[in-house]
Amino acid sequence: MKVQTAFVLAAAALVVLALAPLFIPDYWTGVLLGMTGYVTLATAWAMFSGPTRYVSLATVAFFGVGAYTVAVLNEAMPYPLVLLCAAGIGMALALVVGLSTLRLAGVYFVIFTFGLAELVRQLVSWWEVNVTYTMGRYVFLPFEGRHIYWQLLALAAVTLLISWAIGRSRLGLALKAVGDDETVAAHAGVDVTRIKLLLFVISATIITLVGAIQAPRWTYIEPSIVFNPTVSFMTLIMALLGGAMRLWGPLVGAVPLFLLFEWLSVSFPDHFSIILGLLFILIVFVMPNGVLARLEDLRKGGRA
Amino acid sequence: MSAQLEIANLHKRFGGLVAVNDVSFTLRPGEVVGLLGPNGSGKTTVMNMISGALPSDGGRVRVGGVDITRMKPHRVARQGVARTFQLVRPLPTLSVAENVLLSLAFGRRRHWGREARDLAEEKLAFVGLAGRGEEQVGNLTYIDQKRLEMARALASEPELLLLDEWLAGLNPSELRIGIDLVQHLQGQGMTVLLVEHIMEAVRALCSRCIVMSAGEVIAEGESGEVLQRPAVIKAYLGDDHA
Ligand SMILES: Nc1ncnc2c1ncn2[C@@H]1O[C@H](COP(=O)(O)OP(=O)(O)OP(=O)(O)O)[C@@H](O)[C@H]1O
Ligand SMILES: [Mg+2]
Repeated sequence: MKVQTAFVLAAAALVVLALAPLFIPDYWTGVLLGMTGYVTLATAWAMFSGPTRYVSLATVAFFGVGAYTVAVLNEAMPYPLVLLCAAGIGMALALVVGLSTLRLAGVYFVIFTFGLAELVRQLVSWWEVNVTYTMGRYVFLPFEGRHIYWQLLALAAVTLLISWAIGRSRLGLALKAVGDDETVAAHAGVDVTRIKLLLFVISATIITLVGAIQAPRWTYIEPSIVFNPTVSFMTLIMALLGGAMRLWGPLVGAVPLFLLFEWLSVSFPDHFSIILGLLFILIVFVMPNGVLARLEDLRKGGRA
Repeated sequence: MSAQLEIANLHKRFGGLVAVNDVSFTLRPGEVVGLLGPNGSGKTTVMNMISGALPSDGGRVRVGGVDITRMKPHRVARQGVARTFQLVRPLPTLSVAENVLLSLAFGRRRHWGREARDLAEEKLAFVGLAGRGEEQVGNLTYIDQKRLEMARALASEPELLLLDEWLAGLNPSELRIGIDLVQHLQGQGMTVLLVEHIMEAVRALCSRCIVMSAGEVIAEGESGEVLQRPAVIKAYLGDDHA
């Protein structure tokens, strides 16, 4: 497909999606909102973790920091400034975390990022209890579901655009090379540390913004709500299902899985995490490269 | 004339093992020099310290007069030093052309776009992989992977090329092709440090040789003469007959 055609189609889809809340019931706008949030999370996650294969479970650390920033600042300054602050804090946190962890390889990185999310949650809780004497905060912003949805939709579009641009740039090539063999990439002239850090920061900043934009939806926020590790796992599973190495992969994974998770969490609230775990194992074993790669294999008539 | 590569008193220890002990030598611009020695004598370790893959425990490395001793690999590459790996290391998620594009994009002149694609095809044609750019590296035969390794090294447009047993594992006719290729580079004025066990290749390519044994340089000089020295023969035979 020509680039122009793809752009026209994507723009058309965006318009339809943007107009949807005017015609559908609020409940479905809420579903679209959640789905768009996860499409953005999964796409942003895959931007870094897809090509480099550094599997991050820190998603919810940034997501939660974004949401909490809005909870703390929403009455202190105008909303756009609050978002800017959230992005800045997410970026700074990503820089610190990136500098200290991107040397870790494989499973150590996974464990560290998981630990990080817990650490941030504990720190925020501790701060709220001992310093500000609050546990839980209210977000008073005059947004309805569709306002939040439109913001997320815009962020999703920008995220896909960034991901597309990176994929075509020398940065994208370098990232794939780093994922394959850091030593070879370095000897080809790639500043491996800098490139990993850069992508980690871009990815984390977007994730922070998703949390910030979604914050008004809860009205009441406390650490256990916005730092729920399930967010990290769901993001990861979605990206892996669709294929973390492809532009549309995370989206393709996020849409059906979000709907499935919605249904599961309502129908089987007690067994939700077990089902999540089983799904995860299934995806990793049956389609390690994602649905899109699998479809391509089938179309080529190749065996998987 | 200033030296293209100047190594002075290089040291490397791995725990209790002294892998490289006080190694010094110099390559003039345009020279193809053999770095020989039995298995485990420290040849690859010397290359790793030149290319920045390993930090040295002492000594200096200069390339074209620039001190690169403490430089990270990517900066060494941009300084005009490229290498191949003893065991080929193609990047499997990249196509053949992309493997080469990587070095073009991040090498000394940072090519990108149409120009880079043309240059990549040029490098591939040079090593005998013309028109194969779209292929997956997983489908390449061993010699073609060796060719790709070379194309990727050349794509960063080096002045100094470090070849670590690049000719190893080739059959006689492939070896001929490989030797021709290096001679071609020599004709273009490339400086090459060639780690090699195949004496036929060393004789054909290297005017000069440096021989290492147990981490130290035990002989250095004109190839034909050095290879006949008793100390060199003993180092090699000792390795086989010990
Ligand atoms: N990263 C490392 N850690 C520990 N020991 C190492 C390391 N790299 C090399 N060595 C040891 O250092 C010595 C020199 O190894 P090196 O690879 O430089 O030898 P070589 O001359 O290239 O041998 P070959 O001809 O087999 O390639 C060997 O004893 C080797 O086991
Ligand atoms: Mg070696």
